[in-house]
Amino acid sequence: MSGADTATTPQSRPSVGVALKFVPLRVEVNPLTGMVSADDRLAGASPADEAALEYGLRFAEAWGWDLLVASAGDHRCEPMLRAAMAAGANAAIRVVLPTDTAAPVVAAALAEALGDCLVLLCGDYSLDRGTGSVPAYLAAQLGAAQALGLVSVAAVGEGTVEGERRLDGGRRERLRIPAPAVLSVEAGVRLRRAPLPAVLRARSAPLQVLPTPVPYAIDPAAGTRRPYRPRPKALPSPAATMSARDRVLMLTGALSERRTPAAVRTNDPVQAADIVLTFLRERGYIS
Amino acid sequence: MPDVAVKPTTGDTTGGSRDGTPPAAFDAIVVGAGPAGAAAALTLARAGKSVALLERGIFPGAKNMYGGVVYGRVLDHLVPNWWQDVPYQRWVSRRATMLMTPTQSLTIDYRSDRWIEAPYNGMTAYRADFDAWLAAKAEEAGATLVCSTTATSLLRGADGRIRGVSTDRPDGDLTARVVIACDGVNSFLAKSAGLYQAFDPSNFTVAVKEVLRLPREVIDERCRLTGDEGLDIEIVGCTAGIPGGGFFYTNRDSVAVGIVVSVIGLAAARVRPEKLLADLKKHPSIAPLVRDGELLEYSAHTIPEGGYDVMPELVGDRLLIAGDAAAMCLAAGIWLEGVNFAIGSGAAAGEAAAEALDQGDASVAALAGYRRRIEANFVLADHRKFRRVPHLIMSERVQRQYPPFVCDIVEKMFTVDNPTPKLGLRRWANDARRTHGVRLRDLLRDGAVGLRSFG
Ligand SMILES: Cc1cc2nc3c(=O)[nH]c(=O)nc-3n(C[C@H](O)[C@H](O)[C@H](O)COP(=O)(O)OP(=O)(O)OC[C@H]3O[C@@H](n4cnc5c(N)ncnc54)[C@H](O)[C@@H]3O)c2cc1C
Repeated sequence: MSGADTATTPQSRPSVGVALKFVPLRVEVNPLTGMVSADDRLAGASPADEAALEYGLRFAEAWGWDLLVASAGDHRCEPMLRAAMAAGANAAIRVVLPTDTAAPVVAAALAEALGDCLVLLCGDYSLDRGTGSVPAYLAAQLGAAQALGLVSVAAVGEGTVEGERRLDGGRRERLRIPAPAVLSVEAGVRLRRAPLPAVLRARSAPLQVLPTPVPYAIDPAAGTRRPYRPRPKALPSPAATMSARDRVLMLTGALSERRTPAAVRTNDPVQAADIVLTFLRERGYIS
Repeated sequence: MPDVAVKPTTGDTTGGSRDGTPPAAFDAIVVGAGPAGAAAALTLARAGKSVALLERGIFPGAKNMYGGVVYGRVLDHLVPNWWQDVPYQRWVSRRATMLMTPTQSLTIDYRSDRWIEAPYNGMTAYRADFDAWLAAKAEEAGATLVCSTTATSLLRGADGRIRGVSTDRPDGDLTARVVIACDGVNSFLAKSAGLYQAFDPSNFTVAVKEVLRLPREVIDERCRLTGDEGLDIEIVGCTAGIPGGGFFYTNRDSVAVGIVVSVIGLAAARVRPEKLLADLKKHPSIAPLVRDGELLEYSAHTIPEGGYDVMPELVGDRLLIAGDAAAMCLAAGIWLEGVNFAIGSGAAAGEAAAEALDQGDASVAALAGYRRRIEANFVLADHRKFRRVPHLIMSERVQRQYPPFVCDIVEKMFTVDNPTPKLGLRRWANDARRTHGVRLRDLLRDGAVGLRSFG
């Protein structure tokens, strides 16, 4: 599909949605001061997001659907959305959102923009220290199936996708995912090169801008910038009666007996969930 | 090309429906968003023409390198008060020319307060910033900038006349009534249009350059600079006898150091250019300036240094050539100027093309206004005036004989070796001439060329 050639209303047909994030593709670290700086001219969609767009274009072509792209961010992401339109997206939406907004809010914003899409694609995680949680939140918001971290996907019947995912031990699992679904894909396939007429048209194509979604407006703290910190592991403090040595041993976990991490090796999802839940319960993560 | 959302072409009779072909998508296509291309697109857009500015880099300047000094006065007419928003690094307040041997150096160093106030003389600037800035001016004026798109050939109609360019994008033919090739040194568009008679490698030099990060205060202290002041040193005699030279420029918190050598000379000497650059960085007169610099960037590029005598035909049928594509870089030893010539020629090409488009005729005769314009301004006037200088600078004498000859004389002048009495300038000069095999005849002849050119 050369989407920009197709003059249809985006909502008139079922649609595939692709969420793109504007991220720095190259950062520079000043060796003298340690300051990290990123050049916006070298920023855009990550290779994983581009792979998502390419798959989205293939699905839309295969099923005769429309393709919508959306990004939550400031005005800097507009050239990236226009590039997506040049590659074939029928329409693009930007949801106004500050950078470094918390994942649930980003998902809410994207759900507002792409909520009507039956199949939604994202990159597996964003390059700027993303955790890959936005697609999961998005699926939860939309009540859609989710298949995350896929190595490859292919359209089968209309609205149905087959995807492949890595498992432990070098194995793969193959999933058949019916719409409505949110898929996240690894980088791999390369985005097609946009035709010149589409590039020229995309420069002035209308781009919808949606206001910041309500969750962000009612909880401003949700979007505040926070330095990245790995989640701390909560440990009960050792009893004051213990010797200093024992307290250190207890806090560091040294010399204590450990169980090797267990891999869940079953094809039955219910059984797998039970194993994971039992594991978490035993270790006190959930009660 | 159907249905393109850009400014409509202005009255198409060239490259359009008159010869049965569909109307052109643009009035003009400018290939290359370097300084020449941006200036051409800017003047065309200001003249109300629809113009596509094609750039192969992901943004203008992304792929471009040079030494580091832009002489901005050429912008006075194009961008009034350009200095207020140009992305400069430093204003060059000190210009130095250094003659060097492996163990000696003589520097003529000039500083002026006048160069650090508007309208300034020269500025150091990063190409990624400067080119993007100038191309943005063209866009603001209405030009359509298309990046990540390489023009791969000239597009010709059934009658053989140029109708636009083909690009490396799918469905990538783009039509226009006139094409301006600003695709830089070694322009394949100019070559494929047959505008170059012969392509002689002896007209080209190759440059390698390092950008080294240093704290601003360290640069200020080492180079005796304050505030936004910058230093530019051009160096002769630093290329192990291979025709060429070197340079050292200061940015805000980095310095650029590089060498430029003849392609032929380099091949014959079987030396790697990075070795020459490493040697320059180790020279006692340069080493203290670059010490502890963190390598930020290493780059190489060719320069068309042949000057006036090797320029191609500048005008073809529906085609103009500007900037480095037309070999308009002036390498006259104490100057290495190309950006200003690119802007000057690009702007003139844009104006001449607009004029021809108004007449509905982009033939060679109708585009002759281009040459007239650059004959009348500094572009060809300077090149003609200095036409013999590039050869002089690259000569065996300037490269190998004169630097040690001059350094020896100066060394003798400043050496106090009593009880030997001072022999006097004439004796020292004669001694140095004999030592370095400098013939009086050559000295006089070269002096005359220098006087005629620079005088
Ligand atoms: C090492 C070095 C030091 C220099 N130092 C100085 C200096 O200090 N001061 C100075 O004034 N000059 C200097 N110059 C010369 C100066 O860089 C050039 O003269 C000037 O850049 C010429 O501008 P231009 O626009 O003609 O070409 P370029 O700057 O080369 O721009 C050409 C543009 O065309 C694009 N392009 C090329 N082919 C295609 C294609 N097929 N399709 C689409 N786009 C294409 C390129 O990506 C580029 O953006 C130096 C040059 C070198 C190499």
